[in-house]
Amino acid sequence: MVRNELILTDVTKRFGGLTAVDALSFKVEAGQIYGIIGPNGAGKTTVFNCITGIYKSEEGSVNWRGEEIRGLTPYQIVDRGIVRTFQTIRLFSQMSVAENIMSGRHIKSEQKLWHGIIHTPGSKRDELANWHRVEEQLDFFNLGRFAATPVGSLPYGIQRRVEMARAMAVDPTLLILDEPAAGLNDKETLELLETIFKIRDKGVTVLLIEHDMDMVMEVTDYLTVINFGKKIAEGPPEEIQKNPAVIEAYLGSEDDDDE
Amino acid sequence: MKELQRFGYPIFFVVMAILPHLLNSRWQAVAITFLIFAVVALSQDIVLGKSGMFNMGQALFFGIGAYTTAILNSQFGWPILATIPLAILIPAVFGVLLAGPIVHLRGDYLLVTTIGFNIVFVQVVQNNLGGVTGGPNGIFGLDSLSFFGTDLISQVSVYYFAFAVLMLTLWIMRNLEGSKPGRALHYLREDQLAAESIGINTRIYKIFAFALGAGIAGLAGTVFVVQYSAVSPEAFNFIQSVLFFSIVIVGGSSVPGVLIGVFVMFVLPEIFREFATWRFFIFGFAMIAAMILRPRGIIPATFGKIPKFLIKESNHGA
Amino acid sequence: MDIFLQQLANGLTIGSMFALVALGYTMVYGVMRLINFAHGDMVAASAFVGLTIYTQVMGQAASLLAVIVIFLLTAVAMACVGIILERIAYRPLREAPRLSAVVSALGASLVIQNGIMLIWGPQMRIFPELVPQISWDLGGVVISLIQVIILVLSLVLMVALYLFVEKTRIGAAIRASSIDQDAARLMGINVNSIIALIFIIGSSLGAVGGLFIGLYYRGITFNMGWQYGLYAFVAAIIGGIGNIPGAMLGGMLLGLFNAFIAGYVSSTWSDAFTFILLIIILIVRPTGILGERVAEKV
Ligand SMILES: Nc1ncnc2c1ncn2[C@@H]1O[C@H](COP(=O)(O)OP(=O)(O)O)[C@@H](O)[C@H]1O
Ligand SMILES: [Mg+2]
Repeated sequence: MVRNELILTDVTKRFGGLTAVDALSFKVEAGQIYGIIGPNGAGKTTVFNCITGIYKSEEGSVNWRGEEIRGLTPYQIVDRGIVRTFQTIRLFSQMSVAENIMSGRHIKSEQKLWHGIIHTPGSKRDELANWHRVEEQLDFFNLGRFAATPVGSLPYGIQRRVEMARAMAVDPTLLILDEPAAGLNDKETLELLETIFKIRDKGVTVLLIEHDMDMVMEVTDYLTVINFGKKIAEGPPEEIQKNPAVIEAYLGSEDDDDE
Repeated sequence: MKELQRFGYPIFFVVMAILPHLLNSRWQAVAITFLIFAVVALSQDIVLGKSGMFNMGQALFFGIGAYTTAILNSQFGWPILATIPLAILIPAVFGVLLAGPIVHLRGDYLLVTTIGFNIVFVQVVQNNLGGVTGGPNGIFGLDSLSFFGTDLISQVSVYYFAFAVLMLTLWIMRNLEGSKPGRALHYLREDQLAAESIGINTRIYKIFAFALGAGIAGLAGTVFVVQYSAVSPEAFNFIQSVLFFSIVIVGGSSVPGVLIGVFVMFVLPEIFREFATWRFFIFGFAMIAAMILRPRGIIPATFGKIPKFLIKESNHGA
Repeated sequence: MDIFLQQLANGLTIGSMFALVALGYTMVYGVMRLINFAHGDMVAASAFVGLTIYTQVMGQAASLLAVIVIFLLTAVAMACVGIILERIAYRPLREAPRLSAVVSALGASLVIQNGIMLIWGPQMRIFPELVPQISWDLGGVVISLIQVIILVLSLVLMVALYLFVEKTRIGAAIRASSIDQDAARLMGINVNSIIALIFIIGSSLGAVGGLFIGLYYRGITFNMGWQYGLYAFVAAIIGGIGNIPGAMLGGMLLGLFNAFIAGYVSSTWSDAFTFILLIIILIVRPTGILGERVAEKV
């Protein structure tokens, strides 16, 4: 049985003299909600950037379902079913919510370049079908009434939802979320948890970075803890909670973590 | 904005359709100039406004199209209409070849390379490379429009030819808007990294935008040749590119904004001819004032459109 | 060999003029991230202002003192124009989309260029012969007094500017403002004053450049700002725009390149070759020779 697995082996990424990610290895199994935690500046976002092709790691391998994807471009990686959100939201802010989500359909759409000049019955059908898929996402994320609103004018919490909806519109196999709860209030965080479970129930593997320990403990099946780019622990949440090295790392940087 | 779309366009088309019959021949010529430059400005809008690439060399593609028609007509005796496919295709190919190596350059660097291409082109044409461009004087005495042996010499027929080209351009731009490639251009304009991360090969679409803009500008070049029966290098120099660039930004990258910009830049000076020497002095101030008063342009573009069925009753804005 | 040395001398002369003008572009760009398209026209304007000062104020006297006064008055006049330009055309657009400021700069360029035409007329004017026509023949290579003056004075100004920016407190404030305006503001730097200062320095250096152009080429036209300005701007980009030593390097390189093209190929191709050089450099080094690559943090 093929397990949709993402396997990182000894991934190392340096910025000048700084080793942001240091020989990091971990494995994500199909259907998991996998968490990566660590203090600020630990290298979590950089790991995601290495997986999604924004950076190319200097060393190591990123293996996705048996294929080496290190060195592929971001859009090639999306084409293989891996989609991400950003820690600092990156939406197309002058465009409407619906169009933002429609960007997720780009790679699934069958239109060719010349359909930008002349439409055909086929391209019109494709266009309509994709807008219907956008409608599904609008419903799933409860964004229907904002469909026509320029996304830049919406509150932060809703923008986070739009960004996830955009990623889900790709029909990903693996969804990567970079601090999805950052800046959300308690109610929104609860909704987010529910949404993440629902996404998993659709058969999507979820890999997420989180700052908020309580949330991580609740939502993830398995965790890797990193500090200074290195893995310091891994295991199910209950074990991680008791791990002295993790407590040490978090207590050591308690001050700058609390928001 | 909604009303403008509902009534503005039909009124515009009707007025433009009957216009030549209301004008004497001098103003017909002005109207044709308006149509030609409107097409070039809209082609510039595809690259600069819709895709956000700082292109300041659009007159280059306009010129390649015009010279293609002129050379095929003067050297090889092709009828003007028969040159159209190549007058579109050759600039488009140049668009691909020139944009390919430079589209990854950021903002101002892209801007200066496109200025550079424009200047190189003008110098090549001026120096009569290959002996077919006529040097600094250009090529003149070209054929007029003919259709299956019937000559269409009258200015009214040139007007309708130019008008048809403008309609075609607007139609293409509308199709672009409601298509995957058109949206991809908007996405990369807003945030290139986010666009790549959602699966868009931005490089391909940037080059596509250049090629499409170049093809349309090239077609406008053919119309230019029909109108003036001549081409010369300075009609396509980089000052022209600067004007097209400014028109798009001042207009706000929207179709009505760009049309107003073309009107102000190319038609008003004809009305106020006695101020000819003051023309650019006044325009300069107008450009500064327009940008200060309306930093997003006279009529800012609203990007994209979504199907009606997605717009729910309690929608916010839009 | 003679051609080589001769074009080397000519290239250094042209190059130092390019460099002086390029500094104006690069300093403004460094702090404001704006291509000041009006700079070239300011340079052109200074040649005309110098001409008028010569005929109207100095009563056509060409003594050393007169030359110094012409240079100083022109520099002061252009510095004032620079400050006004920034106030009117650029300051209101600091928070606006970048292209709005670019178009405003293009507008300012048209205003200045056509202002020159309205004041001094569309025809070519001849710049006065302020420096005696002395030249030396050094074994086949002819070097004129004007060339020596241009080269030496440019070098002095550039070294002075470099020391000012690197060694003084105000210079440090300029550097800080070009790295990060907001941070500089938080450090107590008055960014508005820095920007005004930059326009003063850039415009006066440009004024010197414009007078040199008048002295060297003699014929001055209202629209020559596009030509010289574009070359200087290209020089700034080649060096890495925003980078002060880069502008000097780029100016010199471009001057030499142009001189050798004129010497060995033909000056009718100099525009084309200049831009081909630029495009090649940008393809190899997308931010110019001394420009830094900034990676976007995600
Ligand atoms: N593009 C970059 N250039 C230089 N340093 C970077 C870059 N991106 C991240 N870093 C550095 O790498 C380290 C890890 O950053 P990051 O992965 O963002 O941490 P985290 O997401 O865990 O908070 C930090 O010290 C950060 O400053
Ligand atoms: Mg992070």
